[in-house]
Amino acid sequence: MSILFILIPLALLLLGAAVWAFFWAVGNGQFDDLDTPAVRIIMDDDDKPGDGNET
Amino acid sequence: MPKTMTAAEICFHCALPVPADCKLTVEFEEAQRPVCCPGCKAVAELIRDTGMSQYYALREAPRPGTGRPPEETAEWMVFDRDDMLAAFATVGDEQAEANVYVGGMYCAACSWLIETTLMKLPGVEAADVNPITHRLRVVWRMNEAKYSAVLATLAGLGYEPQPLAPESATRPEVAEQRTALKRLLVASLGMMQVMMFAVGLYAMDFQGVDADMQHFLRLVSFFVTTPVVFYAAKPFFISAWRGVVARKPGMDLPVSIAVGSAYVASVYATFARGPAVWFDSVTMFVFFLTLGRFLEMRARHRSIDRTAALSSLLPNTATRVAAGESSVVPVSQLLADDEVVIRAGDAIPADGIVLHGKTNVDEALLSGEARPQPKEPGDPVAAGSVNLDGLLSVRVTNTGNDTTLGTISRLSERARYTRPTFVTIADRIASYLVVALLVVATLVAVFWNIVSPDRAFVITLSVLVVTCPCALALATPAAFAAAGSRLSQLRLLVTNGNAIEALSRATMVIFDKTGTLTRGMPEIRSVLVLDQQFTEYDCRLVAAALETASSHPIARAFALDAKLPDVSDHEVDVGRGVRGRINGRQWRLGSANYVGGGVTADNNSATHVFLGVEGTAVAWFEVDDELRPNARSTVQLLHQRGIRTVLVSGDRQVAAKRVADELGIHELHAECSPAEKLDIIETAQRAGERVVMVGDGINDAPVLSGADTSIAPAHGALLAQTSADIIMLGDSLEPVTTALRMAKKTMRIVRQNLAWAIVYNALALPLAAAGFVPPWAAAIGMSASSLIVVLNALRLSRFE
Repeated sequence: MSILFILIPLALLLLGAAVWAFFWAVGNGQFDDLDTPAVRIIMDDDDKPGDGNET
Repeated sequence: MPKTMTAAEICFHCALPVPADCKLTVEFEEAQRPVCCPGCKAVAELIRDTGMSQYYALREAPRPGTGRPPEETAEWMVFDRDDMLAAFATVGDEQAEANVYVGGMYCAACSWLIETTLMKLPGVEAADVNPITHRLRVVWRMNEAKYSAVLATLAGLGYEPQPLAPESATRPEVAEQRTALKRLLVASLGMMQVMMFAVGLYAMDFQGVDADMQHFLRLVSFFVTTPVVFYAAKPFFISAWRGVVARKPGMDLPVSIAVGSAYVASVYATFARGPAVWFDSVTMFVFFLTLGRFLEMRARHRSIDRTAALSSLLPNTATRVAAGESSVVPVSQLLADDEVVIRAGDAIPADGIVLHGKTNVDEALLSGEARPQPKEPGDPVAAGSVNLDGLLSVRVTNTGNDTTLGTISRLSERARYTRPTFVTIADRIASYLVVALLVVATLVAVFWNIVSPDRAFVITLSVLVVTCPCALALATPAAFAAAGSRLSQLRLLVTNGNAIEALSRATMVIFDKTGTLTRGMPEIRSVLVLDQQFTEYDCRLVAAALETASSHPIARAFALDAKLPDVSDHEVDVGRGVRGRINGRQWRLGSANYVGGGVTADNNSATHVFLGVEGTAVAWFEVDDELRPNARSTVQLLHQRGIRTVLVSGDRQVAAKRVADELGIHELHAECSPAEKLDIIETAQRAGERVVMVGDGINDAPVLSGADTSIAPAHGALLAQTSADIIMLGDSLEPVTTALRMAKKTMRIVRQNLAWAIVYNALALPLAAAGFVPPWAAAIGMSASSLIVVLNALRLSRFE
């Protein structure tokens, strides 16, 4: 059980790193648009010009 | 035998009816699809041949086109000038970046089409469209591409680009959303961690206490909970404090007391090695509250994003005349006393007085008056109205926020903020309950201190934990959050948290006519030829030629894409009709009386336009503003639910009555000014009705704010949307009933949740006060009751 005295602080360090990374990403504007990515996945743009009739 | 024609075929590209004589088709997916004009054919073929056929699959509903003819796109050239670029773009060494508000966008398909098309332009580096906010961010290389090319491409696709001044990344909403996201993350990660430690702590209650480990886990929980309380929950404390200072304590006060006291008690217990800590309850509580606020904030921002609104009614540029020379300047640079020239068809950029020129002005958006207003030198004109006929020279009196348009927008803002705030049932009950619980807990503590001082602390804590009003506090926000997100999937955006409650009690729905019940675009429904000398097509050609002189909204219905006969002695007799000489014969188009004898039609003159030659009627046209899809079934559904329907319209009695009769609407008020509309609402409210207003149009904005709840179609005048509580996306009226059903269901779930929470508390409190509930059982009970409430609320996300 005493291993927990090391593992839990270690987990907290990771937690701190995760929070820091998230704060950085938010500050970097990566979360400013929460709407578009959800619909972007359904748009594929690998149509070649001229093949509109086959799709 | 008279013959009647009704347009049946719909254009594959733009969804407008295909004229009977039009034989154009486009080959698409191995079928010949009808199109209404050479333009649509060309666009559809362009989209097909450039490999963008997906557009037709992705778009949610075909939209009637609003595109402007390509020759007008030359106006975008002005945006290539250095001073204009400086005002509307961020110019770097080689690249420039600009934001564009894209009017006329409907769905993800549009954003896909825009992005793909722009990326194919040489020199365009990036193009990102946010389909929700209708904003395009475009980056291009200055030496290869031009801003005007981007804008002209957008216009050519049929959208209405509106260049925006560069916005800093720290727009208030952006900053607010960023902070809220950080708070949400801290609360959620904190909650997960503390829950994990809590499992360890509760396990010790069964397996025997390891004092060191217990102390360690509590310290760690304390360590993780502290930022959750002081960072994530900070807004609650601030708002609670403001409430106290203003002597209007809100829901945030009991929340703050609960969070604060549980935190302080836990910290004390941690360091004094007391019997129990409640860090898990604290973090969970904060997390759920923060999540609710976050979802609420997102809904609010969606409406703010549409306040590009005000400016999008104004033109981007104005032609300023100074010392005999005219120059094109951004509207933002106009000052009072400038002289501007406005061409026919352009919007007026600022309030002003007409100096030269005679014209008719469409003020429909400002006054609700559908008929064009004649203007002569000396008359005032308002920003945002449209110059229909002549060249106009105007001396500017007011610009920007000082204009009539700006004032209307400010008024509706104010109406929005002074609206009585509905304190939800849950807030009230939870607030009282928290105070009551604190009193009860104190009494319990005092009682047990006398009876059995050893057990007093444990029992008091059990009471506090087991009766933590989590379930009560969650009952409403959880249900509203679930309802809000489900509604947005159902194409309804809720911008006001009170809307759902108010909507669930609606007893009366007031509809605006033009643009709400109808599409706002008149069209010819049928043609009846009375004189067999003429074909239907002859009649339409003549009518189209005659109507070219008229700027009455109805004239738009007659427009025909064909070679029109020449008209001489062309005259408009205001309010009656138009006349002119074609091939030597005198033609008239207008009301039955105006056209002359031989007409034996009914007197429904609002929707029937007659064509006559030399005093004899030869045909009549049934002109109508098409009803929105599902308008009829929507009204019927409302009636089935016992809701009274009312139509208020600025339009004439006959036209409004026709719509009311066709839909079976109970009550009709026609020819209303915005003030009268507001009056009708207020009278109904005094009579005890709960009023839902469905409408768009700028003049409706204060009216929308005056109703208990307001719903606006998304493509109404944008300003109205900012004051509407709920925004309907898409073309159909059906969302109105969906919203009502959803609101009722939401309130039913809220009541179930509240009932459950109250029953739970009522049962648990006496047991805990009597000392039968150990702290761990109290914690499980509290979490379970919260969980049940949340799960019950989540049933709303499967609402159909």
